[in-house]
Amino acid sequence: MSTSSAAGLELRQLCRKVGDRRLLDGLDLQVAPGECVALLGPSGCGKSTTLRLVAGLDPASGGQVLLDGVDLTGRSPGERQVAMVFQSYALYPHLSVEGNLDLGLKVRGLPPRERQQRIDATLELLQLGELRQRRPAQLSGGQRQRVALARALLRHPRIVLLDEPMSNLDAQLREDLRPELRRLLCGREQPVIYVTHDQQEAVGMADRIALLEAGRLQQVGSPRELYTNPANRFVASFLGRPAINLLAVEPGRQLGLRPEHIHLGGDGTVAARLLRREWWGHQQLLWLQTHWGAVRVLTGPEAPPPPEPRLSWQRQHELWFDPDSGARLPP
Amino acid sequence: MRLLALLWSLGPLLWQLRTSLLRPEALVAPLPEGNPWTLANYQLVLSGDPPFWQYLANSTLVGLATTLLTLLLAVPCAYGLQTLRGPIRWGVGLALVAAAMFPTVLLFLALLEIARNFGLANNLLALSLPYAALSLPLAVLLLRAAFADLPGELEDAARLEGLGLGQRLRFVLLPLLGPALASTAILVFLASWNEYAIALTWISRSDLLTLPIAIARIGGGSVFTIPYGAFAAATVLGSLPLLLLVLLAQRSIVSGLTRGAVKG
Repeated sequence: MSTSSAAGLELRQLCRKVGDRRLLDGLDLQVAPGECVALLGPSGCGKSTTLRLVAGLDPASGGQVLLDGVDLTGRSPGERQVAMVFQSYALYPHLSVEGNLDLGLKVRGLPPRERQQRIDATLELLQLGELRQRRPAQLSGGQRQRVALARALLRHPRIVLLDEPMSNLDAQLREDLRPELRRLLCGREQPVIYVTHDQQEAVGMADRIALLEAGRLQQVGSPRELYTNPANRFVASFLGRPAINLLAVEPGRQLGLRPEHIHLGGDGTVAARLLRREWWGHQQLLWLQTHWGAVRVLTGPEAPPPPEPRLSWQRQHELWFDPDSGARLPP
Repeated sequence: MRLLALLWSLGPLLWQLRTSLLRPEALVAPLPEGNPWTLANYQLVLSGDPPFWQYLANSTLVGLATTLLTLLLAVPCAYGLQTLRGPIRWGVGLALVAAAMFPTVLLFLALLEIARNFGLANNLLALSLPYAALSLPLAVLLLRAAFADLPGELEDAARLEGLGLGQRLRFVLLPLLGPALASTAILVFLASWNEYAIALTWISRSDLLTLPIAIARIGGGSVFTIPYGAFAAATVLGSLPLLLLVLLAQRSIVSGLTRGAVKG
C-alpha cells in the first residue's frame, strides 16, 4: 500500500457505489493542515457522501483516505479522531448540554477531572456556560449549533467535517456566525472540510472550493480562481448570481459573459431591447432582448437604461465553451 | 358528544362493576326490595382456595417473565432489521407480519407436544416461552418502527464519538426509545395476562393457574346457576392491576403510540 509524506488530509480516487449508482466517482482532493476546503455542489452531487466516507460512516467502494500519510480507509469512525457537525446537529435530545459533551469523553474512559476541565474550557470558548444544564429542545437554533460545534471541538479532533452546519439557521444568523465559525475552526492544525450548497457560504468560509457534480470533481481552487477561470460551463454557471449569460454567438462555440461585465451604451456592437428591470437597492438587474436571446446585465442602481441600449464588453471577460460537452475552449 | 363517547366505551365496564356489587336476585329483579348492594361476591371470590391473590401473583409472574424475555429478544432483533438493506429486509418484514397474524389456535397441539416432551407443563416460567414467542413478531415490528423514527444522524454522531454498539444502545438509542419500549411492554404484558388456551392446556395444578383459567373455573358447581356476580367480581379484581399499570405508564404510552405522527 502506497503512503504519502504529505501532511494533512488526502483523498485518493475515492469512490462510493450503491447498486448501480455511482454516488462518488474517483475523487482526488488534498486538504492541508489548517486549511478549510468547501465541498460545493447541487444536492445529490456527492458532497455529503464524501464527508461520510472521510468519517468512516459509510464504506468506500474504492480509493483511500489518508491523514498525514497514514491510511485511514479501513478504520472505524471512532478510531479516526474525526469530528463532524451535522446538518441536524444530532444532539442527544435526552441529555443536557453538559451530558451531550460528556458522553464521548466518558465512554473513552477519561478521568472525571479531565472531562470536567475540558468541558468547562470548551463551554467557555463558545460562551455556553450558562446553558450547560439545558436540554437541546430548550435551546435556540444558533445555540444548538454552538453546542454541536463544542461537542466536535471538545475531542481535539484531527479532522473537522461540517455538513451544511448552517442550513437550518436564518439568513441573518448565518452571516453573523460565519466569522465565528472561521475563528473557531480554521487556521488550527486540523484540516477542515465544509459541505454546503450555498456558494456565498462557501466563498465566505473556505480557503479553497471543490465543486462537485454528479459524483465528479469539476474544479478545485480558490473562490477567485473558480469564478474568473472556470474549468467548464458547469463551474461557470454554478458560481455567480445572477448566473452567467450563455450565448450561442457562433456555431460550435458558446460565449459565457457575466452580467456585471456587460456595459450598456450607444457605442456597443449588439443592439438590445429592455424587457424587465429588477431593482436590488445596491444594484439593478436588467433583462434585455438581443438577437441571441435574453441577456442579464447588472448595472448601478441609479443609472436609467438608455432608450436604445447597445451591449459591449471587454475581450478579457469572454469565456468560451463547447456547446455540447460544456468544456472550456481557448478564446 | 364527548360524554356519549365516554359512556360508549366505559359502559360495559361500569355495568360489570355494578353487577359485581349486586345481590344475585337483584340482577334479574326489575325493582328489587331492600338494599340490593353487597360485597358478598368479592368475599366469595377472595375466600376461595387457593386464594384469589395467588392467581393474580401467578399471572403477574408470567406476564413479567414474558415481557422481559420478549423485549430482550425484540430489541436486538428490531435494531438488526432496521440496519438491514435490500430484499432481505423486505422478506423478513413480511415474514414477521405473517407470523404476527398467524392463528394461535393452530399451534396448540404442537405446543402441547412440546410441553410434554420437555417437561414444561405446570411451570409458570415455562409458560412465558410460548407467550414470548407469540408476542415477538408484533414487538419486533413496533420496535423496528420506533428505531426507524430515530434520526440516523444521532447514531452516526455516537459512532464518531467512539461508542460501540452496546454503548450506543445503552446511552443513546434505548433512552430515546423509552415511550416505545413502555407501550410495547404493556401490549405484551396484556396479551400474556389475557391468554387462555395455552394456559389451559399447560397448567393443571390449581395453585399454578393463571387468572383467565381461574375465573373460568368459578362457574364450578352447577350448570343451572351461573354466578354472574362472582364472575364480575373476579373480572374487576383481575383488571385492577392492569388499570394501575396503564395509569402509571399513560403518558409514555400515548407519546409512544403517536410517535412519528407529527414532527417532534
